Amino acid sequence: MGKNILVVDDSESIREVVSFTLENEGYEVKVGNDGKDALKHLNGDPIDLVITDLHMPEMDGIELIKEIRNKEQYQRIPILFLTTESQASKKQEAKDAGATGWIVKPFVPAKLLAALKKVMR
Amino acid sequence: MDKFKNKFLEEANENIAGLEDALLKLEKAPQDSDLVEKVFRHMHSLKGGGAMFGFNQLSDFTHHLENVYDRVREGTMEVNQGLLDLTLESVDHLKNLLQQGDELSGDMATRHKNLSLQVKKYLESGATPSGSQSQPSSSGSQEQTYYIYFDPDEDLFDNGTNPLFLLDELVGLGQAFVMPCLQGIPLLAEMDPRKCYTHWEVVLATTEDHSAIHDVFIFVEDQARIEVQKLADGNLLSNETFRKALEEKYHKDQDLGIDAVKGLVPAKDTGTAAQSPKKGKQSNGQARKDEGIASIRVDSEKIDHMMNLVSELVTTQARLSLHAEHSENNELEEIAENVQKLTRQLRDNAFDIALVPVETMITRFNRLVRDLSNSLDKKVQLQTEGTETELDKNIIETLTDPLLHILRNCIDHGIETPEERRQAGKPEEGKILLKAFYSGASVHIQVHDDGKGIDPEKIRQQAVEKNVISPESQLSKKEIFDLIFLPGFSTSSNVTDVSGRGVGMDVVKRNLADIRGEVEIDSEPGTGTTLTVKLPLTLSIIDGLLVQIADNKYVIPLSAVDKIYAANHSDVVDTFNNLIVLDGERIPFFYLRKEFNMPASDSNTQEIVVVQYNENRIGLVVDTVIGEYQAVLKSLGKMYKYQDMISGATILGDGTVALVMDTNKMIERFSSDRQRMTNVESQKK
Amino acid sequence: MNKEDLEKINSYLTFKLGEEEFAAHVSKVLSIMEMVKITKVPRSPEYMQGVINLRGQVLPVVDTRIKFGMSPTEFTANTCIVVMEVEVNGEYVQVGTLVDSVQEVLEITEDQIQPPPSIGSNYKSEFIYGMAKVNENFIMMLDMDKVFSAEEMMNVQASTAEGEKQETSGEQSETAASESSQ
Repeated sequence: MGKNILVVDDSESIREVVSFTLENEGYEVKVGNDGKDALKHLNGDPIDLVITDLHMPEMDGIELIKEIRNKEQYQRIPILFLTTESQASKKQEAKDAGATGWIVKPFVPAKLLAALKKVMR
Repeated sequence: MDKFKNKFLEEANENIAGLEDALLKLEKAPQDSDLVEKVFRHMHSLKGGGAMFGFNQLSDFTHHLENVYDRVREGTMEVNQGLLDLTLESVDHLKNLLQQGDELSGDMATRHKNLSLQVKKYLESGATPSGSQSQPSSSGSQEQTYYIYFDPDEDLFDNGTNPLFLLDELVGLGQAFVMPCLQGIPLLAEMDPRKCYTHWEVVLATTEDHSAIHDVFIFVEDQARIEVQKLADGNLLSNETFRKALEEKYHKDQDLGIDAVKGLVPAKDTGTAAQSPKKGKQSNGQARKDEGIASIRVDSEKIDHMMNLVSELVTTQARLSLHAEHSENNELEEIAENVQKLTRQLRDNAFDIALVPVETMITRFNRLVRDLSNSLDKKVQLQTEGTETELDKNIIETLTDPLLHILRNCIDHGIETPEERRQAGKPEEGKILLKAFYSGASVHIQVHDDGKGIDPEKIRQQAVEKNVISPESQLSKKEIFDLIFLPGFSTSSNVTDVSGRGVGMDVVKRNLADIRGEVEIDSEPGTGTTLTVKLPLTLSIIDGLLVQIADNKYVIPLSAVDKIYAANHSDVVDTFNNLIVLDGERIPFFYLRKEFNMPASDSNTQEIVVVQYNENRIGLVVDTVIGEYQAVLKSLGKMYKYQDMISGATILGDGTVALVMDTNKMIERFSSDRQRMTNVESQKK
Repeated sequence: MNKEDLEKINSYLTFKLGEEEFAAHVSKVLSIMEMVKITKVPRSPEYMQGVINLRGQVLPVVDTRIKFGMSPTEFTANTCIVVMEVEVNGEYVQVGTLVDSVQEVLEITEDQIQPPPSIGSNYKSEFIYGMAKVNENFIMMLDMDKVFSAEEMMNVQASTAEGEKQETSGEQSETAASESSQ
């Protein structure tokens, strides 16, 4: 059975590339345009992994991660965040909020899948 | 990847437009931190996307800009005019970069260099964090054996990390011997299942290098103790002696430690312990090709195709409904009804997809107003209202240029210089209000300026000079203003380089006519001018009222229909003044059979469809009203190019063709005919 | 077969308008339809018969007889609509043409074609570029593009836009035309 992955990014092209790559691998992909939008998928729906951008309007990635960790059901699901450069402070902030790992943009599908492999099977 | 590129381009354009918009707003409110954030975010997206899709110049350039705005965000730099000018210039450059890609030549290359330099200078001596870093090359082909110690913190699970996946990945790098160390696990009663009590030792033989091993643990570096040491060159695990010794030792006491493992290594194989874990940095991608990726973005062509299919479906559904009705088969009727409902929903949905808010054009307008007013030394403020109003994508595309032209006219000819305005007792800053709103099945876009207005008398004179009208012709104010839309008619006595580009209002009118739009001017000398553009909501399907006239069927757009009345035949033919009293109101009407040059009906009853025409209600007399009908609009084609009372045709369920009326044009035509007739009559007398 | 190949061959579709036989090159002919209900478009020139449904598209239909200056078509069992593709101002336009009856497809070689008679014709001759004698019959060779040429289209404009005004081009004004056709 396909795992459910929630992809959250305000950039449609990123969402598309990520979704496409994941769907090709047999994952079920749900998408959110920003943190707030993503929350609609986090009301009991089975989600096995969240991939989120950090810079987003409405609700940014850090806040989304915190929100997710506050939900009993999603307390332990892996969360990957997308970051443009390896900004140490931002990364730490995201990890402190409860993120599992990150993917550095730009990335090719292989890199995305590599990161995925670290946190989910 | 190439297919995604188009999507990126589209998105990048949106980002640039958004950036421009935010910058223009920032100019008015330099302290607004939300706007700075917006600017930053658009740049950020551009940078990320650019690098990903092979626009490295664009990405680099944006990176520097972003750094500037990062400073602004932090509060260590200020938004001022100089910065905004530079940024706006950069935005223009970004547009070019997006078009040209990485291959810069000639002027572009120089411009790029200069602007980059300026942006960097702006950052002054502050250390610019560089975005580009080269990736340490990996995978020497030589196989080596490592010892890895991995001891995660107890709270590792809290971040959603599963250490087993990491070990799995590690094993994937080569041949491995994994030794879980379980002695840390407490008694069941004391155990907290949310905590990680295990740590691991791994002996790994791999061709990957040190940093590749570290990369496995990159997410947990700060949540675990990780040691990686080289044990020996070559694959120790294929060495039977070593392997056996390791297994035995592990089963005896676990948690061996590096030294114990090293002790097992045959003497000649001992290598130097490697050190220094590196943080994994990824290289900025050169346009990397990936196979097997197809875009799932819907490009506009596909939308057009979908709309065509939906249109066909609507037509086919009409046929089905008709057959079902005649079949007297209840079940079939029920199915047909359902299909009708679904089709309607599908149609509305498809429409929605093709709709775009007016908002999307506004940034270009803002930019025009800013640049143009600056170059003309005028102060102009553009206000907008109702920009959420949506229109068919194709309409918006065609609409932008005419509106830009109208705005250009407003600023160039309408709004006065601050000096002139002061003398006229107006505020120095001129105002242009762009207002979009729905009006029935059409959208109106009004552009109002509070400038000097247009003097009808001046236009009249000009028209007489140009022999467009005779000196003695009597024209209403509206008719005079309509002259402006004639080819080659320009009201400005001096042609400027702004509006005097050889494109006149006639072109505006023609462009708008292509999308079934109309334009009107009204003006009050001294107080301002209002241009109203009326547009249809969509180009392909309309909700209509199907009516019968003689043996032909017609569709009247439902949006225009006000009310339907029954009338006696005698009330609508041979009347002196073509007025009928309906609901106590005297309503002018047209007997369509007569207007269409058809013989009068022999039926005693007729129906009157009252439609809205400008501010008036006008009756259209038809034989019978059949009912509501969704009409898929088809063009009558080139041969009927000049037939404007009929906006198109639609194919009915029985395969025959019904004509779709353009009630506005029709009534306009009938009225002017009638006027001409009256004139002729009065001349005869 | 593509259009260019088609243009090279010498096949012509012949049809009758009244007693006269006309020929149009097969590269112009798309199909031949039986009569269907034609929806008249109000206030259009009389020779514009109206529109029909051609496989889901709207096709204008021209009364060829009126166009050629003959009396309007009287519908019989033999009346057909020949669907043609003609070039108007560089664009291809599909149009249905009413003919009294379709005859046959003929091979007519260039040496069979003579220049058109310059006088004494009872129809407008500017659309005819030659006459062919086949089996003792004279066939008028039609230049279909010219029939719908730009100039002709302008007349459509003139007669629709200024229907009530004086006729200028030999076309009947629409009011008169409509009255006579009903």
